[in-house]
Amino acid sequence: MSAADSHTRTVDAFSAYLEGELSPEEKASLEHHLSTCIQCRTSLERFRRTLGGLGMLKQTSAPNSFLEAIQQQIHRRSRGRFFRRRWLLFGRIPFEWLSLAMIVAMLVYYIVVLQSSPTGVKPIP
Amino acid sequence: MSLSERLLVARLVRRDEEAFNEVVRQYGDRVFNLVLRMVGSRAEAEDIAQEVFVTVFKSIDSFRSEAKLSTWLLRIAANHAKNRIKYLARRREHEPGGSDSADLADEGRAPAQSHIRGPDVLLEAAETEDIMQQAIATLEEDQRLLVVLRDVEELSYEEIVEITGLPEGTVKSRLHRARMTLKQLLEDKFK
Repeated sequence: MSAADSHTRTVDAFSAYLEGELSPEEKASLEHHLSTCIQCRTSLERFRRTLGGLGMLKQTSAPNSFLEAIQQQIHRRSRGRFFRRRWLLFGRIPFEWLSLAMIVAMLVYYIVVLQSSPTGVKPIP
Repeated sequence: MSLSERLLVARLVRRDEEAFNEVVRQYGDRVFNLVLRMVGSRAEAEDIAQEVFVTVFKSIDSFRSEAKLSTWLLRIAANHAKNRIKYLARRREHEPGGSDSADLADEGRAPAQSHIRGPDVLLEAAETEDIMQQAIATLEEDQRLLVVLRDVEELSYEEIVEITGLPEGTVKSRLHRARMTLKQLLEDKFK
């Protein structure tokens, strides 16, 4: 095999070598070539750094408004069939408002009914 | 496919809105990241990723339960991203004075040589991201997809085969060529 063929075969096997997919014989042959060829060693190092750089690309999150934007799109395209706006607090049953309404109702009941009741304690004139 | 995933898909088929919200919450970041790495622009990525989920909502009936939901989603995302890349390339061709870098300017991604100082900055995290993203953007969309799926998203070859529909051997040889192109590109930049 010529030196050029040997370089080409080595370079072609970089991915398989780094991903551990070469047979023991192929691996030994490649490593033998690397031990004698500075050009291929340098090339492998740069190849490794390229993959390292790709792996360093950080994972990005979708924007906060992402879900809402999709819901709006579906709502619009389905002509209002899906993802209708609901009069709910934060998209669910508004227990906070229900509780508040009950407290107000009880307060009104107490003031209007109980305060005017004949059994209520009246001050002595 | 797991039982919980089957149940989720069954709810999606009934167009259960809460199930759909769950899918977006679960896979939104992955889909967004994949398309962002493919197209290189946040605004485009946001638009494509939204389109992906609208397609999911519309075409869930065509989902075959032998596949994983995540793989199916990523396949849709890959197709949308590839189509958008082609569309943007065509648009740039027809724009007077349009060039590949024009669309990327607002992302701080002007032509690479303009702000690369030397080989020693290659591994500095902030710049590496920018440099790598620029390099990815120069690849053909098929090669770009393979690099993103394997080297950025770190998916298995089995998953990549499912997403791309290519035989494993083709995936591996194309991926190797893409990596070599990237390596060459980075070497040229630092000459």
